[in-house]
Amino acid sequence: MSQEKKGWTYGMLTQEDWWAVWIGGFFMILGLLSVWGIDLVGWITYPKIWVFKMPEGAVPKKIVPWYQAFYPLGAKYSLTAKKFWKSIGPIGGILITYVAFTIPLCIGAYFMRWNVRQFFLGWTVIFFLTYLCWFIGHHAFFAATTVHLKKSNFPDMFTLSLGGGASFILALIVGLIIGNFFKPLARFLSEAAKPEWYIKTAIVFLGVKVGYLPIKMATFSQKLGHKVAGLTFELFLAGAVATFVAYLIFWPGIYTISRKIFKLPRKTAAVLGSGISICGVSAAVATGGAVRAKPVVSIMVSALVVVYAVIELIILPWFFTYVWPGPEGALVAGPAMGLSVKTDGADAAAGELLDELMRAKIAKDTNGAVQWPEGIITVSAVVTKLWIDMFIGLWAFILALLWCYVVECRPGEKVPAIEVWHRFPKFVIGYFAAWIIYLTIFFGPGHAGAPEGMAILKAAKAGAVPVEKGMRKLFFMLTFLSLGIITDFKKLKEAQFGKMVWVYLIGLFFFIIPVACLISWLFHQGMELPNIAGMGIE
Amino acid sequence: MAEEKKKEVHGTGSLSADALEAEDVLSGAEPWEPWETKLVVGSFIVAFIILLIGLFIVPTSIINAGG
Repeated sequence: MSQEKKGWTYGMLTQEDWWAVWIGGFFMILGLLSVWGIDLVGWITYPKIWVFKMPEGAVPKKIVPWYQAFYPLGAKYSLTAKKFWKSIGPIGGILITYVAFTIPLCIGAYFMRWNVRQFFLGWTVIFFLTYLCWFIGHHAFFAATTVHLKKSNFPDMFTLSLGGGASFILALIVGLIIGNFFKPLARFLSEAAKPEWYIKTAIVFLGVKVGYLPIKMATFSQKLGHKVAGLTFELFLAGAVATFVAYLIFWPGIYTISRKIFKLPRKTAAVLGSGISICGVSAAVATGGAVRAKPVVSIMVSALVVVYAVIELIILPWFFTYVWPGPEGALVAGPAMGLSVKTDGADAAAGELLDELMRAKIAKDTNGAVQWPEGIITVSAVVTKLWIDMFIGLWAFILALLWCYVVECRPGEKVPAIEVWHRFPKFVIGYFAAWIIYLTIFFGPGHAGAPEGMAILKAAKAGAVPVEKGMRKLFFMLTFLSLGIITDFKKLKEAQFGKMVWVYLIGLFFFIIPVACLISWLFHQGMELPNIAGMGIE
Repeated sequence: MAEEKKKEVHGTGSLSADALEAEDVLSGAEPWEPWETKLVVGSFIVAFIILLIGLFIVPTSIINAGG
């Protein structure tokens, strides 16, 4: 335990967690201004599915020609400045998006004492590369589903039906290629390749999504709004209990496997236990600090966490969609993902991919008769993960007490209670604040979707969509690309931590994932996604 | 410089590309002690109790949703 004095405000200007809250919160507040008719977020530029040449008879609705592949979201959703946002066009929109994020991110980099010049240059490359991946990944061959083809009056054609997931995978692949085959470029970009920061910010935006979902549904049907509000509460409750049960099984299980089968020292086993069980990097680092493990242990586990998260990200969404439990268990799969994937970034991204794959599959299987609203499956994956994140602080504190008073009993040493606060993942505050603010609008001035509240709900929607849809997905894309850039497979091989690799492999695939699936199945049986087919909801 | 960076990564939970270094932390396992058994078994027992309670209180659980 560090004995240096840290007040409750410690790190507010110097830690990624807090900067995710500041940046996420700032754009959320900009979005909220739409309630008063001020639209300051309509610039965020979003992709559409495109083709080089439209077939004869096709209509540019869901699938458009390549030159219409991007549009500022305000051009579609703004209530007060639609014409203006339309007038800036896709190039203007991308440039404003770049400037709007570059300024706060560089300010954050400055306060976190990074090399601002290097960050700025790296960020610029990563930003435009991200948009390029977003563009390519939205080609109809990769992204279009049966529903998209039908709505745009396209002839039957073979597509991979990946939806928005194709862009995520492409960003990851491009990142991995840079990180492993273009090392000088990867080093140049490394100051701005910050997957944890980007994803934490995206998770604050996700809070807007969770809070806004009932509003979105209510603008189409009051009953649907209530149903989705209820569903998010169900996910919250079931996720909390499932997480507690899972974690109390995960950690001792991995600790025992590491100690008894692989004969690892206690501290290494404890850090591995947290890394594989809880939320990867943060947990490994928090536990490393709590038990006073050598820094290299946390770092090696963190590296493994990232690599295995990528492997899980590639395997699990497909496995859950096409093998078990399939679309009928979509809300079992999401939380199972949350319990299995060990970084916030990879989990939220895997949840997003799962969301796209599940929705595409159910639409294809039912020929469009069943369509689910976007984002709920992602939310189900992230809610469980957030509970796990909140558990980190508590568990690190328990381990700190245990190590301090039992294992390395040092007379007179005290563990301050504020340590729990310091270990608490702060971006969660932004996530919950966003969620609660939008829910308050829904149940307060929005009158839970009753006709008298509809005007304010529609105004709130105009500011929420650019944040929860455009900004959230952009930051997911940035996360994927950055994750790939910093993953250097050769470096991991050179570190010769083969034993740890095996513990992680066996622990993850033969213990964590099966237990996660079982627990998720036990607690999420009764959840159903609302069918929005034919309601005109996107 | 590298030490400084390592220290920084250790303290913040942030993940960066140049934070990896090898050191022998895998050997020298201590013998298993009774408090470890207590910790592991105690944790499993608490998990089982929460599982049982949770299955009854969570409306969407297999018990309440009827499988």
